[in-house]
Amino acid sequence: MIKSIIIWICIFVAAVVLQTSLVPSFAIMGVKPDLLILLLFFLAIKTGMMPAIFIGFFIGLAQDIYSPSILGQCALAKTIAGFFAGIFNEKVMRLDPLFLGVLLILSFFVNDITVYVVQFAKTGSSFTSIAQELLRSTLFRALYTLLFAVVPILWEQHYTAKIRR
Amino acid sequence: MHWIIEFIVRYRNFCSLLLTVLFSLWMISGTENKQIATARFFTSTIFYPLQYIVNQASTIRNIFEENRRLRREVVTLSVKVAALQEQAAQNSRLRGMLDIAQNYQYELTPVRVIAHDPSESFRSIIIDGGKKHGIQQWMPVIGEQGVVGKVVQVMNGLSLVQLLRDPANRTSVMIQKSRTIGILETNNGHDFFIRCRSHEDVKPGDTATTSGLGGIYPSGLLVGTISKISDSNDPLFKKAWIKLSIDFDHIEELFVIRLSAQWSSFVNEFDSIGFEQ
Repeated sequence: MIKSIIIWICIFVAAVVLQTSLVPSFAIMGVKPDLLILLLFFLAIKTGMMPAIFIGFFIGLAQDIYSPSILGQCALAKTIAGFFAGIFNEKVMRLDPLFLGVLLILSFFVNDITVYVVQFAKTGSSFTSIAQELLRSTLFRALYTLLFAVVPILWEQHYTAKIRR
Repeated sequence: MHWIIEFIVRYRNFCSLLLTVLFSLWMISGTENKQIATARFFTSTIFYPLQYIVNQASTIRNIFEENRRLRREVVTLSVKVAALQEQAAQNSRLRGMLDIAQNYQYELTPVRVIAHDPSESFRSIIIDGGKKHGIQQWMPVIGEQGVVGKVVQVMNGLSLVQLLRDPANRTSVMIQKSRTIGILETNNGHDFFIRCRSHEDVKPGDTATTSGLGGIYPSGLLVGTISKISDSNDPLFKKAWIKLSIDFDHIEELFVIRLSAQWSSFVNEFDSIGFEQ
């Protein structure tokens, strides 16, 4: 248990490093993949709700501290996204790759909706602009990140099938 | 108390969610100063090691970028250095030519070589000076290191120069020390010699200059040095091999000595008396 926690923490630290150092190089028209949500999603799927909630909270908090946003905004968003993805964890149900992809995109929407709702409540931004941003930015970001998720999802499926055989 | 713990364990997922959501909402609802204080607390306690690692990664990324930038700069500077070296070499050559211009009492026209005879042992060159620059047929051409050849054909802006290395070329030379005079000959364009009498005091290392005979080259222009002496078929003569001072493979800037051939006045005189050539 402790070993697995340490491994996940190390993975997240590496993801934060990659997200801030290497990922900006992959940006296409300003859209960057979000490795942190991707990892949080896999963590939630593999281990369930509780680790995803706490790790999501701390990852979001780190993002809040290192970016000029409202403190607690990303923490809340990542917590809820981790909770959402954790509902569909492997211990509860068997997931096929297509459903995993859809779930990942939905996790992005859950995360971003939370972010925008907090922003709406705190700063009073226009709800129309928030909705437009949600469709324009979130969808592309989710799809771009999905590209990075394809390999691990397929590998995982292949690995699971091999074990079952 | 017992039932509270049991409730928390039973609904641990939702309790965790509730705890983190409430904590997040508490942070969100705080004033700006409070948020800054909270952020400072988390930064100094939990996230400092993370920040350190992220900073290190950023530093490494910057190093890579700097490395790329420096590589580009190295290439750019190499090109500039090459251009400067070329200019320095040209400057050196031009200074040498300037010395020549000051040393000779003749009127000199500076020219540049614009084409070589394409054959393997090229025998002629084309220079960028012609009639409009005052250049005439049979004018001698010299370089920084000595005699190059003579103008054999003149066009308006170009001239054809027959080089000393052309086997058809005949130049009268004099060994400076012994005052021996001979005709510079070559069979292949690389090895040059003069035939001189066996008793002449000609030794390797002696300097050969133009003799002034023949009417084209003025006397005293450097041709080369004697490299060796060998016997010829005729026992009365020997061959003095001459290493030319000019390097025909690296001639770029030259001078044309604006000196008409010495026989031209005789030609005019013959013309005036109606001498039939």
